Amino acid sequence: MKLTEGMQLIAEGWIVKPEGFRVKFQQMTNGELVTGYSPPETDTPLDSDVTTWRYAWKLAMAASPEGDELHDGCLVNVTVVDEKGSPIRYYATGKPEIFNPSDI
Amino acid sequence: MNEQVGRFQELGRLMQNHGLEMITALVILIVGLFLTKWTVKKLREILGKFINNTATVSMVVNSVGVLLLGVVITASAMEVGARPGPMVAAMMIVVLSTIGIIVIFRPLIPTLPFKVGNTVKAGNLLGKVEATTVLNTRLRTFDGKTFFVPNRQILDDIVINYHFTKTRRIKIDVIIRYDQDLIKAKRVLEALMIEDARILPKPNPQVYVLELGLNGVRLGGRCWVNNLKFWVTQCEMLEKTKLRFDAEGIKFAYSQLEVSYRKEEDDWTEDLSPDTEMPEN
Repeated sequence: MKLTEGMQLIAEGWIVKPEGFRVKFQQMTNGELVTGYSPPETDTPLDSDVTTWRYAWKLAMAASPEGDELHDGCLVNVTVVDEKGSPIRYYATGKPEIFNPSDI
Repeated sequence: MNEQVGRFQELGRLMQNHGLEMITALVILIVGLFLTKWTVKKLREILGKFINNTATVSMVVNSVGVLLLGVVITASAMEVGARPGPMVAAMMIVVLSTIGIIVIFRPLIPTLPFKVGNTVKAGNLLGKVEATTVLNTRLRTFDGKTFFVPNRQILDDIVINYHFTKTRRIKIDVIIRYDQDLIKAKRVLEALMIEDARILPKPNPQVYVLELGLNGVRLGGRCWVNNLKFWVTQCEMLEKTKLRFDAEGIKFAYSQLEVSYRKEEDDWTEDLSPDTEMPEN
């Protein structure tokens, strides 16, 4: 294996660099949880995971459910995903993180 | 009195004989000047969309402006009876001489090492260039102050233009304690840089052991980022490094001093207590 081939293998197989980040959430709409993204999938994703996580936390705080009851407009299961929709680990802990988790 | 009357009569005759041509020439001159100004403005807008270099656009537009001005003046002069041959020849000489002087001497004219919109550091000022004039440069610092810096001072000083290159290197230097896992720390730091979307894949992010210092091992992370994203990326990389090292249990070193006290038999300080009297010199 040539050095360039080895480098190529590492680039593709070790740590895949994400191209952007979105906040993924479920929003209670007319009694149903609807999955959404911010920015929407049609828009350009954010390029900073730090900014996206901060944005996700603020969204979760701004539209958190009151107790166990999910009212219209509240956001649950707020997390950050990459441009392909795969969840990414929280940069602070290196583990998955979900704000306002809900099993419903 | 008679002299003034004579002048008016002469003017009357002149207007009677050539009045129409003079008014037409005046109209050509005024309309021509307006059209020239409008054309130059539109040309500048159109060229600005295709050519990024402001200086080149200005040179082309100004040259066209001078040519159009020459055409308007020549047409106006011809209307009042000037012969076209010598007029055109004279205008051509003037225009070509002007363009020639600009082309020859332009490299010799000192130019400012930045453009409007660039972020620069000139002297002790770091900010964005808002405007440049012949005499000074308007610089807006990031705390909102506007400075008018004389161009002479800028030309005499060292200037850092942060927009001159497209990419810039980020330095992430951390010091870990000697009892920490050095290889793990290197891996974590390298992974942090690689997995950030803004860090460029080439040149590859690297981690070096920079120093075995007094307090710990100094690691240096080096990676490249687009110039416009430099500052935010650097700040966020430092934040991520601190948090990820904490999460991975890698402890940072901090300045500390170990003091050893060696007791000697004849040392008077062994009996030093608040009640002991200090020896006098």
